Amino acid sequence: MIYDLIIIGSGAAGLSAGIYSGRYRMKIAIFAGEFGGETAKAGAIENYPGFKSIDGYELMEKMRDQAKDLGAEFIDEKVTAIKRDGHCFELSAGDKTYQANAIILAVGAERKHLGLPNEKELTGRGVHYCVTCDGPVYSGKTIAMVGGGDASVKGVNLAAEYVKKVYLIVRGKEVIAEPINDEQLKKLGDKVEVLLETEVKEIVGKEKLEKLVLSKPYHNSADLIVDGVFVEIGAEPSVELAKSLGVDLDEYGYVKADNMMRTNIDGVFAAGDIVNHFGRFKQDITAAAMGAVAATSAYEDHKIHGDLCMLHAIPPMQSKIEVK
Amino acid sequence: MSKITIYTTPTCVYCKATKAFFKENNVSYEERDVSVDAKARDEMIAKSNQMGVPVIDIDGQIVTGFDKARLQALIGIK
Repeated sequence: MIYDLIIIGSGAAGLSAGIYSGRYRMKIAIFAGEFGGETAKAGAIENYPGFKSIDGYELMEKMRDQAKDLGAEFIDEKVTAIKRDGHCFELSAGDKTYQANAIILAVGAERKHLGLPNEKELTGRGVHYCVTCDGPVYSGKTIAMVGGGDASVKGVNLAAEYVKKVYLIVRGKEVIAEPINDEQLKKLGDKVEVLLETEVKEIVGKEKLEKLVLSKPYHNSADLIVDGVFVEIGAEPSVELAKSLGVDLDEYGYVKADNMMRTNIDGVFAAGDIVNHFGRFKQDITAAAMGAVAATSAYEDHKIHGDLCMLHAIPPMQSKIEVK
Repeated sequence: MSKITIYTTPTCVYCKATKAFFKENNVSYEERDVSVDAKARDEMIAKSNQMGVPVIDIDGQIVTGFDKARLQALIGIK
């Protein structure tokens, strides 16, 4: 079967694209990858219109169900390669290949790591990247959160419900968070200590994390004894598939797309965290909007090129006959 | 039938995904929330030697994280 459109990614951008393209009555498949993307890991979402507060995973389930009801087929595989022949695309996932007339890249971003020795070895043993997952494991213990943006502040606010103490380690001169999250942070009082203009220089431990070594002393010591450290220092766009298709990137390494989410490659569209349209303001509402626009552009494209892939895909002899 | 214990936290997405997978496949399991049960947390760390969830114990075989292929193999479902 040749799909009209294949969407790669099942975060807010991919699922929104699924809902819109389903309404356009396109034959679509969504390669879920890690279901729900960053939203599923975000904990409570309190700024998505229509929901006063909803768990991120639940919001993604609702979007997925809406897309399914509109005919989207979900394939629980990771796309490992895409081949392009004119306006036809062949995707490899698992041990199968899939064909499509158009692609929406909504694969999101990968969380950044500190890049320190020991970090990998101690991942899951004191070093973590998902505070909604592992924060509550540290109930009654002391943790550090690295990062000065909104995600780290949200992480502190969540973890504070469980842990005894949190050190928020910020490289810059200030914490930059949504004011409502900042307000909540301030209400936590002594439970949180913010260490500004401070970096983690070393992660120390053998079987598990024992301490962090900071770039500047805290209470006369560069050693900070914590049970766990959570890293929330942003993310880098996952652009490998885009690069393999020859899609242009912008100066920051994001996929370059126009205001209709079209890339430089005919039939390839992009949405969500792999695009930098709203700068650091990466939200569910912006991702969902980009997904809707990308689906609309894919639909417009489909109206023009819809049958081309089918002509390509049939055997050459038959193709000749059909064309005549 | 396998005896399955899953160690979770309330907000963990991979725990939710694991439980959804079990539900889809009609697999019954015992859930232990390590955010409120210190004994369960100690048990989880002793079994897995780590602090990340979910940890799944299937008849003594330990799976860390939502590793669908491994769960399928251990439970014997496709």
